Amino acid sequence: MKPWSVERRQEVGPLPQILAILLALCGAFAVSAALIAVAGASVSRAAAAAWLGAFGDARAIAETLLQATPILFTGLGVTLAFRARLFNIGAEGQLIAGAMGAVWVCMLVGGGVPPAVLIPLVLLAALVCGGLWGAIPGVLKARYDANEIIVTVMLNFVIFFLLAYLLSGPWRDPASFYNQTPRLPAAARFPELIAETRLHWGFVLALIAAFLVHVFLWRTALGYELRAVGINALAARYKGIRVARVTIVTMAASGAISGLAGAAEVPGLHQRLVLDVSAGFGFTGIIVAMLGRLHPLGVIPAAILFGASVTGTSAMQVAVGVPVAINQAIQAIILIFLLVSDALVRYRIRRIGARG
Amino acid sequence: MADFLEGAFVASVLAGMIRMATPILLAALGELIAERAGVLNLSVEGAMLTGALTGFLVAHGSGSLWLGTLSAVLAGAALGVFVGLLAAQLRVDQILVGLALNLLAVGGTSFAYRLAFKDVGVKNPSTVATFEPLKIPWLSEIPVVGEVLFSQHLLTYAALLLVPATYWFLYRTKSGLELRGIGDSPRAVDMRGVDIARRQVLAVTFGGAMAGLGGAFLTLAASGIFVPEMSAGRGWIAIALVMFGNWRPQWILFGALFFGLIDSVQLSLQAVGVKLAHEFLLALPYLLTIVALVLNRGRSQAPLMLGIPYHREAR
Repeated sequence: MKPWSVERRQEVGPLPQILAILLALCGAFAVSAALIAVAGASVSRAAAAAWLGAFGDARAIAETLLQATPILFTGLGVTLAFRARLFNIGAEGQLIAGAMGAVWVCMLVGGGVPPAVLIPLVLLAALVCGGLWGAIPGVLKARYDANEIIVTVMLNFVIFFLLAYLLSGPWRDPASFYNQTPRLPAAARFPELIAETRLHWGFVLALIAAFLVHVFLWRTALGYELRAVGINALAARYKGIRVARVTIVTMAASGAISGLAGAAEVPGLHQRLVLDVSAGFGFTGIIVAMLGRLHPLGVIPAAILFGASVTGTSAMQVAVGVPVAINQAIQAIILIFLLVSDALVRYRIRRIGARG
Repeated sequence: MADFLEGAFVASVLAGMIRMATPILLAALGELIAERAGVLNLSVEGAMLTGALTGFLVAHGSGSLWLGTLSAVLAGAALGVFVGLLAAQLRVDQILVGLALNLLAVGGTSFAYRLAFKDVGVKNPSTVATFEPLKIPWLSEIPVVGEVLFSQHLLTYAALLLVPATYWFLYRTKSGLELRGIGDSPRAVDMRGVDIARRQVLAVTFGGAMAGLGGAFLTLAASGIFVPEMSAGRGWIAIALVMFGNWRPQWILFGALFFGLIDSVQLSLQAVGVKLAHEFLLALPYLLTIVALVLNRGRSQAPLMLGIPYHREAR
C-alpha cells in the first residue's frame, strides 16, 4: 500500500489558480527559449530584442497596446460565450463580419459626413454584423441542437470565402494590384490616442468594453442567467431560465464584441479591408480568455501580454532571424501549460495511514 | 466525339471525388474510433498538418516516400498520445486540449517549415516526387470504371478498405464492443476490469495516426509540396463527417465521397475555365456540414459519454 494518495480537490481557491498561471507562463517561456535555440539564435539576444520590441520605449508600448486591442475584443467575446459554456470558436469569422459591416457602412454613407457621425455608425455596423454572424450558431444550437463548435468553425470558412469573393470583385479597388477595398474615407479613421504612434481610441473602447462585460456578467439578471446556464444548463432550466433565449443572446453578444475587433482593425488601423484582416485574433482570443480565467478584467492583462508577444516576436525576427510564426506556437504552448497546471493544482497529495 | 469528351470529363470528376475523399475519410475513421471511446478530439486538423509536414520533410530528406508516410503516421500518433494523456489521464477539458494542440500544430508546422526552408519563397517551393497511382492490372483498363475505381493511389485503396475493417472491428470483435461500451457506459466496462483511460489513450492515438496518414496523402500523393495551413479545414470537416455520418463507418464513407465530389467538381470547373465565382463552390462543403448537422437532429447516435471525462470515484 502506498503511503500517500492523490485526491481531487473539491474547490480550487484563488491561490492555486494564480499559481497555475505562473507555472504555465514559466513553462511556456522555457519551451519558447528551447524553440529559439533550435532556430539557431542566441536566446539572450532574442529575449532582449523581444523586450525592447514590446516595452522598450513609449512607441513600442503604444504598438503593443495597438496589437492588444483586437485580441482584447475577441477575448471578451470568447469570455462571454465560454461563461455560458458555449464554445464559440467563431470569433475569427465574427471579426471579419464586423469588419465587413464597418466597410459597408462607409461605402453607403461616403466621406461627406463628419467623424462624429461616421465613427459611431461604423461601430454600430460592426456590432450588428458581428452579432448577427454570432447569432447564427446560437439559433442553430437553441433550435436544432447543432453543435456550436462545428458550426462556428464552419462559419469561419464560409465568411472567409465570402470575403475573398467580395475582395476579388464587387468591393475590389480597381486602381489596386491587390485584392483589397479602396481606402476608407478619412472621417472613418479612429482618432489617435498618443500622438506620433498608431495607437488609436479603439484601445480605450476595448477597456470600456471589458468593464461593461464585467458589469453585465455580475450585476445584471441576464448575466446571472448566462452564468447559471454555463454551470448547469439543466438546473437552470428547472429554475425557469429560458436556456434557448440565453444561448441565442449570448452568442449574439459574443459575436458583436468580436465584431468590434473588426472595426478596430479596419477603420482603426488598416484603413481598408484586406484578405488577412485577422491574424488569427479569434483563436488568440480563446487563449487570452482562458488566461484571464474567463474574467473580463483578467482578460485585459492577458491581451496586453499577447500584444507584447506579437510585437516582441516580430522584433525578434528582425534582430535575430527567428521566424515570426513562432508567435502562434508560443501562444498555443501557453494554453497547453495552463491546462496542464490547471489539472495539476486540481489534485492534492495526501498522506494516508499516518492518521492519528 | 462530344459524347466521348463528356464521358472522360465525368470519369475524371468521379476519380477526383474518390481521390479528394481519401484524406478526410482516413481522418474521419480515426476520429470515429476516438469518439466511440468517448473522447471528442478536436486536434484532427493539427494532426493532419503535422503529418503533412513530417511526411514531406522526411520524404524530402531521405528520398523515400514510404519512410515519409511512416513518419507522418508516427507524428500524428504522437500528437494523439499527447491529447489522449491529457484528456483521459489528467482529465483536462477535452475541447480546450484539442484546440490548444491544434493551434500548436498550426503554428509549429509553419515555424518548422520556415526553419527548414529558409531561403525558399512562396513562388518556388520545394517539392517531392509524389506517389504514382497504382493501376490495378486488367481492372484499370475497364472504361470509366477502371479510371474511377482502379487507378487510384495505394493510400486511397487503403482508406476504402479501412471502412469495412473499422465496421468489423467495432461490431464484430470483443475489443470493439468494449470500445463502444467505454463511449456509452464506462462504468460497466470498468467493472469488467478494462483500463478505461488506457483504452481511451489508445483510441485517440489511433485517431491521430490516421489523421497523420491523411496529411501524408496531401503532401506525398496529392501535391508534392507543403504549404503552411494546407489542410484548409479538412480536419474540421473530418470531425463534422463523424457527426454527419452519425458515428457509423458506412455513412462516414458516403459523407466523405460527397465532400470529395464537391471538391472535385470545383477543381474540374476551374480547370475547364468556368469562372463562376469559385469562392461559392469552395464554401459549399462548409455550409453543407452545417445543413447536415441541422438535418441530423433527433436521430443522433452519439456516444452517450462523448466529451465527458470518466472518474471512477465520481457518482
